[in-house]
Amino acid sequence: MVSKTEEEQLNRLENQVDNGGGGAWEYLSLLIKLKIRRSDKVLKYGVPILNDHKKRSALGPEEWTLYEQVCIAAMDCHQLDLSKDCIKVLKKKFPGSRRVGRLEAMFLEAKGLWSEAEEAYTSLLEDNQFDQVVHKRRVAMAKAQGNLSGAIELLNKYLEIFMADHEAWRELAETYVSLQMYKQAAFCYEELILAQPTVPLYHLAYADVLYTIGGLENLQAAKKYYAAAIDLTGGKNVRALFGMCLCASAIGHLAKGRNKEDKESLELQTLSAVALEKDYKQTSPSKLPLVSSCLRSLKVPL
Amino acid sequence: MGGDSPYEIHQTAYIKLILHALKHRTTAVNAVLLGRSSASGSSVEIFDSVPLFHSQIGLLPPLEIALIMIEEYYGERGLNIVGYFHANERWNDSELGGVAKNIGDHITRYFPQAALLLLDNKKLHALPQGKDRSPVLQLYSRDASKNWKVAGLDGSNHLSLKEPSANIVLSDYISSEKWKDIIDFDDHLDDISKDWLNPDLFK
Repeated sequence: MVSKTEEEQLNRLENQVDNGGGGAWEYLSLLIKLKIRRSDKVLKYGVPILNDHKKRSALGPEEWTLYEQVCIAAMDCHQLDLSKDCIKVLKKKFPGSRRVGRLEAMFLEAKGLWSEAEEAYTSLLEDNQFDQVVHKRRVAMAKAQGNLSGAIELLNKYLEIFMADHEAWRELAETYVSLQMYKQAAFCYEELILAQPTVPLYHLAYADVLYTIGGLENLQAAKKYYAAAIDLTGGKNVRALFGMCLCASAIGHLAKGRNKEDKESLELQTLSAVALEKDYKQTSPSKLPLVSSCLRSLKVPL
Repeated sequence: MGGDSPYEIHQTAYIKLILHALKHRTTAVNAVLLGRSSASGSSVEIFDSVPLFHSQIGLLPPLEIALIMIEEYYGERGLNIVGYFHANERWNDSELGGVAKNIGDHITRYFPQAALLLLDNKKLHALPQGKDRSPVLQLYSRDASKNWKVAGLDGSNHLSLKEPSANIVLSDYISSEKWKDIIDFDDHLDDISKDWLNPDLFK
């Protein structure tokens, strides 16, 4: 997961490189560090470095990391000859390397040779059954072949061993959502909230899932989690504020006549609406009339 | 219902859909179609489209907010939500998934002749080579038993491009990587200074 500041820093650097201001290696290193997928840029700026003998040796031992990075990016952009060349170079430098073995298996994946890739991963797992990257590649392979239930099964097995892997929980949750298995997705977000209760994203996603499942109890719970997300983000998260308004409106419709519920909901809804209008007035004033009108339509008449 | 009402899509609406899909190649994306039916009710004209999301498409709250805002904005301009566009996550997945069908059903409640468009990846891939003037989309409409069916090859229920040179214009935009500029509702919710109307996209 990347924070807004990190993303801004990356985009600034990217702009700089795009406009000929240099800093390609810093940019590429940052991409690795933040684990962000911009394969076309990696190829654009990584390949010239690798092709230039001077620039390459200036990197020292990082040269090999760059080969790996370019190799994977090439597979992502379906430039398989390029990735094959990178693997050749790495194999020569690191014969018998497990890390290179993984790249070779990924290459088989990229070519769509699923059973060969599966064999390669299985053999890598025989040597080390706790290789997280290989486990994840198998999930990715299942997904790539459209076998979402297989991917889910593999992810669940993976999480039994590596239950602290938050990215895996997120991946599982998102896969469940894409299959409209909302209760299972909710479970994943519950795990994430337990593990990292101060990350607003999880509260927000959980609230979204609860709202989607529907029903008065879930809506009331969703309201609490939208409130948590609003709290954790200092009232600046537009999605949470909108979510609160939607929730209050839906609860109002379902729980008509329950006075206590109406009052509390209405207050929260009003506060959220005010915060949203303030935000739009400041940042996107042309949209303000539209947003105000929509927020008004969400207000439940008492 | 579900008879042979042809659908016609304007260039602007069409290109936005494809550019949006190209911007987010590694995830599913979706969009709504705006337009109206003809005076006789026998055809539907799609004037515009609003790209919606590229993440967690199966969740309701962002979708509801988007639909409320879009309906209100375009309603004032005499246009309704007349359809839905979906592009699957995987290149070789040409099936209409559950989420797409559900959203399509929802839209049909308000506009019975709603069109459901699915991105045709193979056609999109072949675009630069061929001289195909038909849209790179697969049209689905609801039959009498409320199932989403692919538009018939017999010509009934088909989708055409209003401007015959739309694919040429699209190819141009693809070469110039225009997709980088397109904003969807997800982008807007992350940063409300980004305008989901994309007013300056084609200027």
